[in-house]
Amino acid sequence: MDALVQELKEKVIQALNLEDVTPDDIDANAPLFGEGLGLDSIDALELIVLMERNYGIKLKNANEGKDIFKSIQVMADYISKNRTK
Amino acid sequence: MSIYIDKAAQISIQQPLCNEWFSNPSMPTDRLCKFVRPDFKQYISAAISRRMGTALKCTLSSASACVSEEKRSNLDGILTGTGLGSIENTENFLLAMLEGEEGLSPSNFMQSTHNTLGSQVAIAFKCHGYNITYAHRGTSFDSALMNAVVKFQLNEYKTALVNGVDEMTEKYFQLFDHIGFWKDRNVTIEDVRNATSPGTFAGENSVSLLLTTQPSEQPLCELCDTQLFYRPSDEQLKTCVEKLCHAFNINRIDAIVIGNNGDKENDAEYRRLAQLLTPDAKQIIYKHLFGESFTMSGLGIYVAATCLKEKRVPAHITMDNEALENPQTILVLNHFKQLDYSITLLKSC
Repeated sequence: MDALVQELKEKVIQALNLEDVTPDDIDANAPLFGEGLGLDSIDALELIVLMERNYGIKLKNANEGKDIFKSIQVMADYISKNRTK
Repeated sequence: MSIYIDKAAQISIQQPLCNEWFSNPSMPTDRLCKFVRPDFKQYISAAISRRMGTALKCTLSSASACVSEEKRSNLDGILTGTGLGSIENTENFLLAMLEGEEGLSPSNFMQSTHNTLGSQVAIAFKCHGYNITYAHRGTSFDSALMNAVVKFQLNEYKTALVNGVDEMTEKYFQLFDHIGFWKDRNVTIEDVRNATSPGTFAGENSVSLLLTTQPSEQPLCELCDTQLFYRPSDEQLKTCVEKLCHAFNINRIDAIVIGNNGDKENDAEYRRLAQLLTPDAKQIIYKHLFGESFTMSGLGIYVAATCLKEKRVPAHITMDNEALENPQTILVLNHFKQLDYSITLLKSC
């Protein structure tokens, strides 16, 4: 799981082009939206794309993202249970 | 009513947002030369810039360097010329589509259009005026400039920002390469002064000009007028220059900026027209320093305005390699494939 969390941090930084942010800067349990990284709704779409491309997870309902994208740790848990690749 | 170029800023393959090219130019060393990037953080917050492509970041930076924050509320319009628009994002989006139509990045899609460049500047500057983008290949910048001038002449503008922006991607470069648009080696100043073979080299540019009828204490120059033509006769062009000189009480044109780029056919037309229109004027070249793009003519205006402000044309941008001191009037000539032409007249303040 730790490896997946680390990988996810790197992919999020790359996908969202978070300049000046390193994986170590991201608290795996901190909220991704609002506080924490301060992501917005467009970032949520990018994260949906990231999940589909990298892990073969297709969210049927965009509202599911609210729960899945709470933090890197929550994302990693969801991915480990639902990934198809 | 007179129109002035009050401020100007460029980001190109020369040192950005300064006039280093005027006294200490760097000579291009490749067939495809990319933007020399400024420190974008000075102009755009990291949170905003992370979604922006290179062309957009350059546009916003050159525009921000050109228009101080306190003057942004005075802008009546932002006019942008771009031949390829946000081509980097467009390509990224199209390539992602090839991989599968699902899972497309929204950021690339949102910023893949030509008018993203100007509209993002308008959003950043909170300018709700007559903002428009021209995507007319080699006369994109010239069209934007002419639209601005017409708005001034109609007394609908007092201050406007005109941008000319183009980036070049590897893929687009290769497409042009297939039709022989680029030379198969580096272009030198000798090629631009005396072209003997086809082809040029690629540059990237974001040039911003602040035009106003109420200039600051030290504007760069006065922009007398600009005219566009499609397949003009020599007589039409000659008459245009004569009329402009007459309208602005100009007895002599000291220099003419021509768009020689090292391509034999392109340069022959410039040489012929310079001889026809202004046989006694000093011929200024600039594309050996900046490369070629659809909106490089914006750099031509920028170079001319800088020479008028500095009261000098340095030898390294003249056809005869001799400097010209204290130029008072400069004509800027642009043609695209010998179809579209533009003539712009500038004079010192």
